[in-house]
Amino acid sequence: MAGITGEEIALIIVVLVGLFAALRVAVENNTLRKLPYLNVLSFAIAAAIALLIRHPLALLAAAAFFVGSTLESNAIASTFAGGSTEDD
Amino acid sequence: MLDVIARILAASLVSWLLFITIDVLFKLPEKGGVSGATAIGRSIEEEGGALHGGYMMGNIVCSPDASAGTLLAACGVYIAGIPGGLAAALLVYLGNRICHDPGYAGTTGAILATFVVFGFTQVGFGAEEFIAGMVLAILTIQGLSHTGASRLLATLWGWRA
Repeated sequence: MAGITGEEIALIIVVLVGLFAALRVAVENNTLRKLPYLNVLSFAIAAAIALLIRHPLALLAAAAFFVGSTLESNAIASTFAGGSTEDD
Repeated sequence: MLDVIARILAASLVSWLLFITIDVLFKLPEKGGVSGATAIGRSIEEEGGALHGGYMMGNIVCSPDASAGTLLAACGVYIAGIPGGLAAALLVYLGNRICHDPGYAGTTGAILATFVVFGFTQVGFGAEEFIAGMVLAILTIQGLSHTGASRLLATLWGWRA
């Protein structure tokens, strides 16, 4: 482990959390209850994008990925709830 | 190596306190912002959790909240300092509007987190430690025990309400 940088330690932690969240998504049977685990996975992927590519456009990529993933979860959950309501 | 891990854990605690405080102040546990968030809250309640904590977890899933704001602001500061963090806040603002979120928890969280993360980078922390810290912080709410997390959030909401 000699010579490992702080960035690499951060990346290892992020990847381990992402793998754990992916496992929870796969194991959980209830679709609505999968979504918070998927949320953790999206956090880990967005974090990994920024840690792996330290470039201004990587911030755009991480945000675009995260917002897109959130919107998909929103759509799946709202479909399970029976579609949009007047509050939406 | 242990010092880096200790700083990541400290950054995680700071991020956790920041996003939970902002989300509770912005009333995320009060009700689901969209029907999907309400459905997730009810599903967590069926599992044995607390309804208002579930609503907050549903809201976190359905639109970028202060936790997402903190993560993206940390990424922004890591890449380009304060301007990067503020650019992340703008992206979170656009993300909120895309997700039909009527609130400003995400944008507020991103702006505050930009200055918090930048402040900590001035005293020996690295912005990457906040990126990993925020991923660990969201894991404790959304990824370990929905029942336990929702009860904790409902207790905090009880103090606020």
